[in-house]
Amino acid sequence: MSVTDEELMAFADGELSGADAARVQAAIAADPALAERLEAERKLRMALRGHLDPVADEPVPQAWTAMIAAAAREDAEDEHKVISLAAARAEKAEKAGKAAKAAREARSTARGRPFMQRWGMGIAIAASLALGLFMGTRIASGPVTQRDGALMASGLLAERLDTQLASAQGSGSVRILTSFRREGGDYCRVFASGGTSGVACKDNAGWVLERTISGGAAQQSQYRQAGSADMELMAAAQEMADGAPLDAAQEEAAKAKGWRE
Amino acid sequence: MSSTRFCEDLTAMLPRLRRFARGLTQDHADADDLCQQTIERALKARKQWQEGTRLDAWVYRIMRNQWIDEIRARTRRSQTFVHEDQGVNVGMDGDRDAENRVELANVDRALGRLPDEQREAVVLVMVEGFGYKEAAEILGIPQGTLTSRLGRGREALLRELGETA
Repeated sequence: MSVTDEELMAFADGELSGADAARVQAAIAADPALAERLEAERKLRMALRGHLDPVADEPVPQAWTAMIAAAAREDAEDEHKVISLAAARAEKAEKAGKAAKAAREARSTARGRPFMQRWGMGIAIAASLALGLFMGTRIASGPVTQRDGALMASGLLAERLDTQLASAQGSGSVRILTSFRREGGDYCRVFASGGTSGVACKDNAGWVLERTISGGAAQQSQYRQAGSADMELMAAAQEMADGAPLDAAQEEAAKAKGWRE
Repeated sequence: MSSTRFCEDLTAMLPRLRRFARGLTQDHADADDLCQQTIERALKARKQWQEGTRLDAWVYRIMRNQWIDEIRARTRRSQTFVHEDQGVNVGMDGDRDAENRVELANVDRALGRLPDEQREAVVLVMVEGFGYKEAAEILGIPQGTLTSRLGRGREALLRELGETA
């Protein structure tokens, strides 16, 4: 009983079953030359896997996971919008129509942007982000304080900026999208929370809010997509950054050093 | 299928995807560029993915097609350069081949020397563990074509690496 080369390889690839597999197996048992060929094939397979498998163990660049997470948030926001629009329409048709138009525009802007180069977000950002303008009314309390005219993170936000890793995202109210170093070496982090999203950079005194985007929950669902706000921030971060975003290991190391050199 | 699920599954797949990219491109930087482009494309097209079909095969197909596009673009670019000095280049290639034969065979080199169509078949089945049917679908070719490319690729590798592997 002879076994063709193709059959032997199909057997090695796990493509044969039942009677076919049994027949090849019997032939191999009876013929040392066949067994030898099968063994050579097995060694080749191990050599290939030995060569390529380690790639799968390398830490995945944060930009990739951030990109996927941003898409997930965009979708979640879309669903949310459908619901809130329906409610608004029932209340006042005209108002809802306007909101939908705004949403469509926000969406087409976000989708139409060329989706990033190496950085995760290769968006040339032309939009100047509101530098704390929206924050003015909220300065008195909450996650932001003022120091010499600069806006500083405080309270929970400061704590999260200190401790939360972008690579190990919790389910808390503050999300860290990515971390990077800007020219001069300061560590900066992109964050998003219910009320405020932005980029914070660490100096001797604490986290200075370099960029902020207003994003009150109500405002956001009607006029701005979380996804597009994230993308805007990622683009701003890309502009500020000196080099690639930190990967998980670098982030861990930076945290251990208190985000200072 | 929720978008959340799609995104979770895609994220979980990234290490494997990167391994496939390295197998296809044989180059670290090319592989990571390819991964990034693949993720972008997959996300853009996420509404087109059909529930009930294998997400991994769908994304692998995107990656492979993206790579084919890239190879074609590079070939076009390089042809414009090669044209004038073809004689010189042929000579250099000959030298390089001779060198290669002298050097110890290794997996990287052997894989790199395979024609693209054989390498992708070998990597999909022997490294990524796809069945013939899925691999053929990813490559958009009949199963018979897949097994013949796989067979030729495997033979070439066995010849080259047989003694060292």
